Amino acid sequence: MIKRFRQSIGIKILAGVITILVIFAAIIGYTGYKEFTDLLLEQYADGAFRTADSAALTLNPDHIDRFIESKGQSSEYQASWYSMDQLCNSQNVTFIYVIQPDLTDYGHITFIFSTINKDSPYQVYEFGFYRETTNDEYKEKYRALYEGTSERELVIRDKGYIQTDPHITAMIPLKGADRKTKAILCVQRQMDTLVAFRQQFIRKLLLVLISVAAVVILAQGWYLYQMMILPLRKIKDEAERFADENVIAPEKLTETIRTQDEVGVLADSIDRMEEQVQQYIENLTHVTAERERIGAELDVASKIQAGALPSLFPPFPDRSEFDLYAAMLPAKEVGGDFYDFFMVDDDHICLVIADVSGKSIPGALFMMVSKILLSTAVQNGLQPGEALTRVNAQLCRNNRAHMFVTVWLGILELSTGKLRAANAGHEYPAICRKDGYYELYKDRHGLVLGGMEDICYKDYEIQLEHGDRLFVYTDGVTEATDSENTLFGTDRMLEALNCCQNVTAAQTIELVRNSINNFVKEAPQFDDITMLCMLYK
Amino acid sequence: MKIKKSQNESQLIIALEGRLDTLTAPQLEAELNASLDEIAELVFDFKDLEYISSAGLRVLLSAHKAMAKKGSMKVTNVREEVMEVFELTGFSDILTIE
Repeated sequence: MIKRFRQSIGIKILAGVITILVIFAAIIGYTGYKEFTDLLLEQYADGAFRTADSAALTLNPDHIDRFIESKGQSSEYQASWYSMDQLCNSQNVTFIYVIQPDLTDYGHITFIFSTINKDSPYQVYEFGFYRETTNDEYKEKYRALYEGTSERELVIRDKGYIQTDPHITAMIPLKGADRKTKAILCVQRQMDTLVAFRQQFIRKLLLVLISVAAVVILAQGWYLYQMMILPLRKIKDEAERFADENVIAPEKLTETIRTQDEVGVLADSIDRMEEQVQQYIENLTHVTAERERIGAELDVASKIQAGALPSLFPPFPDRSEFDLYAAMLPAKEVGGDFYDFFMVDDDHICLVIADVSGKSIPGALFMMVSKILLSTAVQNGLQPGEALTRVNAQLCRNNRAHMFVTVWLGILELSTGKLRAANAGHEYPAICRKDGYYELYKDRHGLVLGGMEDICYKDYEIQLEHGDRLFVYTDGVTEATDSENTLFGTDRMLEALNCCQNVTAAQTIELVRNSINNFVKEAPQFDDITMLCMLYK
Repeated sequence: MKIKKSQNESQLIIALEGRLDTLTAPQLEAELNASLDEIAELVFDFKDLEYISSAGLRVLLSAHKAMAKKGSMKVTNVREEVMEVFELTGFSDILTIE
């Protein structure tokens, strides 16, 4: 609670206002005090000097030596004293006296005349009373009057009046006919009225200042509270609420805070920020949901694609004439490669391997279409070249994305080992004769399917003997790349194929896959890797 | 991959350096889409092209089809590795290769 109190902007601003007011009051108070004092002192001093001038007329300075000789007993002295005493009472001053300082250092003074107001509590000094000069200030003033550098001097004692009442002393030199100072006449006047007035003035001034300050502080405080603290607190509460709940408030801040100042702008900014954050959250939620949905759909798509490729091995358990195995490793969730095999009739098996020029969804869509068109063409009794020619024409129709697919398609007559095949821009097949090694069979190539219309694909024939092997693959195998961009290549592929003899079709594919993995190591797979291997028994 | 273009009136020569594969083919495709409008003769200089994948072939095929309608396209200075791919895929039959 105390912490919150200390940190409130209102308290800080109010403290600032109070400080300024106090400084303001102090300056006004001090100036007023000084002006007041100066003005009254001037009047006091004027009066005192007039009295002093009058008192100076009551005696003849050239006769002072005689007064001293008579020790104040002469009739002239008595007359002068009497006049001075009367003046002292009539002019309402406290003290009129004439002194002669000790001229060596002005450290002592001798009283020649001394009259005192009858209402004052003090006693007169007797003639010839000798005492120390009160302080250095007096000494300096006596000296100035004697040496003729000044014609009047004033001493003000309004402080430290615990011992003596506050008073002023006006001093004038008494000069003889030779213009030399013979003695000093002093008039002392009490300042109790001045001090009393002044105290009253200060008291009134303070009272007024405090009242004004209180009113200003209250008004300023109320204004600040209404115009800043309340709106700011509202904004703060709203910002905290929004941070916790992330839901737009039912009532906008600008509906209650309508000022055009910084607070109003801040409120408006918070409102807009809330809307934008809300919108952003909604968008993000939407996009995330969409992405999850797409992810899930891609997952389903890859399952469908995997399901479209025959994946049960051995595929024809009751056929002993051949051993067949195939595999596809897509680079993305769904790939563009595919393989296919199916019995055309009891004596003919069709083998297909293909690579679509594109991956992900577009590649997969094109792949599905190509696969179905190819199998349909072959099932309808077309020879490989005829099938490719027809599918090319079908794919070229409305091929707006300019996609294409490379295909190797072969039909093996199981009874005779006669393999009829056609190649539409696909990799060379590898053939291994019984007890020999795998070698690339540089077959005749046509253009990729879907590339150009009106292309005619031609068949070729290979005679397979029992024990011969056939290996077809996509460029994902030969173009598997290591971290230094080196391609796996057909040489490494043949090396892997030839490393072991008398292995099954599945083992052959496993051998090539391991060899690729050892070659590329940590480098990412860019292309689908697809292989099909058949052993003609 | 780096693409260097030099145009001489309606002739555009595009020199490729590096690998034209799945990652870089879209770059070439965007470049061609932006600059084929005024072109009657398109020449590819493959002196420094090390490798071309099916994605790269697709871009070449698109360009070939686009240019077939309004002019000509030829491929020059093909390296052995790239030529193998052209032959393998049958592209050597349809492209003008010098």
